[in-house]
Amino acid sequence: MIDPPLSLRETMAWGLAGVGCFLGIWTLLTVSGLVPAQFLPTPLDVISRFIQLLTTPFAGATLPQHLASSFKRYIVGVCLAASVGVPLGLLMGWFRWLDDIIAPIFEGLRFIAPIAWVPFAALWFGTGIGGPVMIIFAGAFPPCLINAYRGARFVDPRLIEAAQMLGTGHLRTILEILLPASIPSIVAGLRVAAGLGWQSLVGAELIVAASGVGFMMVQAQANVSTPTVMAGMIAIGLAGMLIDVLLRQGEASIRRRRGLTA
Amino acid sequence: MGSIRFTGVNKVFGPNSGGVKVLDGINLEIAEKEFVAIVGPSGCGKTTCLRIVAGFEQPTSGSVSLNGRRVTGPGPDRAVVFQHFALFPWKTVRQNLDLGLRNKNLAKPQRDELITAALHLMNLESHADAFPHQLSGGMQQRVAIARAYVLDPEVLLMDEPFGSLDAQTRVVMQEELVRLARVNPRTVLFVTHSVEEAVYLADRVVIMTRRPGRIKEVLDVRTKRDAEGWNRFQKIEDVMDQESFVHLRTHVWKSLREEKPDNRS
Amino acid sequence: MTRRRQTWVGLATLAMLVGLWFGLTTWSGAVSSGRFPSPADFWSALTQILTRGYAGGELFTHATHSVILVVVGFLVATATGVPLGLWMGWSRRAEAAINPVFLLIRPIPPLAWIPLAILWLGLGDAAKIMVIWFAAFVPSVINSFAGVRTIDRPLIEAARMLGTPRWRFVAEILAPAAAPMIFTGLRLSLQAAWTTLVAAELVGALVGLGLVLNMAQQDIYPGMILVGMLSVGILGFSMTWLLAAAERRALGWNMAVGSER
Repeated sequence: MIDPPLSLRETMAWGLAGVGCFLGIWTLLTVSGLVPAQFLPTPLDVISRFIQLLTTPFAGATLPQHLASSFKRYIVGVCLAASVGVPLGLLMGWFRWLDDIIAPIFEGLRFIAPIAWVPFAALWFGTGIGGPVMIIFAGAFPPCLINAYRGARFVDPRLIEAAQMLGTGHLRTILEILLPASIPSIVAGLRVAAGLGWQSLVGAELIVAASGVGFMMVQAQANVSTPTVMAGMIAIGLAGMLIDVLLRQGEASIRRRRGLTA
Repeated sequence: MGSIRFTGVNKVFGPNSGGVKVLDGINLEIAEKEFVAIVGPSGCGKTTCLRIVAGFEQPTSGSVSLNGRRVTGPGPDRAVVFQHFALFPWKTVRQNLDLGLRNKNLAKPQRDELITAALHLMNLESHADAFPHQLSGGMQQRVAIARAYVLDPEVLLMDEPFGSLDAQTRVVMQEELVRLARVNPRTVLFVTHSVEEAVYLADRVVIMTRRPGRIKEVLDVRTKRDAEGWNRFQKIEDVMDQESFVHLRTHVWKSLREEKPDNRS
Repeated sequence: MTRRRQTWVGLATLAMLVGLWFGLTTWSGAVSSGRFPSPADFWSALTQILTRGYAGGELFTHATHSVILVVVGFLVATATGVPLGLWMGWSRRAEAAINPVFLLIRPIPPLAWIPLAILWLGLGDAAKIMVIWFAAFVPSVINSFAGVRTIDRPLIEAARMLGTPRWRFVAEILAPAAAPMIFTGLRLSLQAAWTTLVAAELVGALVGLGLVLNMAQQDIYPGMILVGMLSVGILGFSMTWLLAAAERRALGWNMAVGSER
């Protein structure tokens, strides 16, 4: 009913067939003229444009330079989200009254898609770094807060009781009991936040930026340079994948050290 | 109807050269309507034997046949009662019982009749429209047994069915199973860790060695049981008090103890 | 803390925020109305868009248009994504063939499809649906796939033991067993659909809430920006709530269904 696993060779064979089919149909659509090359460049065109952009500037900078701008904002935004979200989440998990005050505000704001903050971001920061950072913050903040909160709230009550019995004050409890116990949850949250932050970055750059990969893509679209748009998409995809892979490794090694495999 | 034969069954998990050999040359004949229990140390392959009869695993070599025909896959003729019940959580008790009957393409009136009978048999009438998570462990296992019984299978395969129940419920279920087995007998293959359970329930007890599992010994319980008249007792503790029971139980214990690795006692 | 006390604290917080709003804007003028609207600004923008209209239509027109696009895109995406995910779950060959292509497409953030969609289909509804489809398609596939792969093995064996034919197996065993994860996928898909639509409308549109936000930003009309944001939030909340209600109905048998923060 549910198939047993395939051998490695079979998996690879089917995989190659799938990719081959996909690229084949794509190339055929363009080469045959069914879709004008202006709209659908061949895979080869896209790859060669990608390579070209590594050294030739477009919309003011080369691809690596655009990526660097994007990355700078991304790091600032995510670090800000984490440095506000994680401590706040821990505190909310520990002090119930704080939870009661902040939770409604948080839940309310949460339903406003991060991208909807763009107009205010544009109004307040123009095309400066503040704009994208604000959007990234809006996207990356919720997972940081939620996961830190959950980690703190659902710590084994017996650990808390032991700490209380030993006369541990609030601050020390948070720093030496809650925080270490919540690390797995926090790290998982950081990984999700990183992903959401990257997505928000792209959205922000489509509108409120004067550099970066998103900006490059919008310019390419305006100039009807489809290979550039697609090259940009590939760059964004690769970067996002790299970030996710690195963070997953980090998360896995932390879990292993805690004896929490799988 | 319902005779099972193991012929030279070997089972290796993993690649043939470097894998784990779990069963080694199993030969066993189970007569129709016979209640056979398999006991043995952990990992001896007793569950694998059952799963091969069920059709979930294939022997690496050798064969298992039912009524002379080789077993190739699972089916309602060899109904399985799983240790952790395996009830479909999104179906009510009634719907859980109904699935196997619908697969047999029986008409609704007939299905309803069979289901009502099975519910009555297992004392589940008042819970017919409940969902599994609303029932206790013992009740859920009753549903699992009812689901098997309603198919009127030739063979009943039970894989440590009472293993996840608490001690008191377990005893109640054992007594019920004995009642069912004596009233409406069919071939039963029963895998268990519990020696007492095996001796209490079975006609014959198969004792397996540790991995790779071979059949060490097959004990005939039925002759002793009939001779000593255990069936006159309703309560399980009265049966277990009998000297003949204790002898058999100790015999099996000693046999199993020999299977423990030497560096442990 | 009891429910009652929680509500009081919530209301008190709300009151405090509103007070803060008035305080910072109207009463003290600490925040200029060019930066953030005062309650009065907000109110006048709201009445304007409700009655006279803004950016080509009244609030109702914009909101309905956006909602319809989201719903259509969401339905198309889930109608294609869930079966594909289920298929990949039970057929190893389908998984082996499709997975690599999927892995290539997956890392591309949904919003990154917007420029391409505009190139291909312009600023109209078709481009929006295309982007929503990409955004909502991926979570549905992934979660439906996971839903199949995490089915308890004994359940599958029990179904086989009962002699269940393939089509009945899919409908009565596979789908319900995978349903909890499928719904998780639906939730993520809906979220993605809504976010992507607003973003797509912000980049370029002829009608919709995103357009309202865009125009308000260009006109430097903070009151209207706030109206747009709140509309987005409220509609997002309502749709999420509806989906959660549907989930509770469908998964009533699952005692693990509950609220989560």
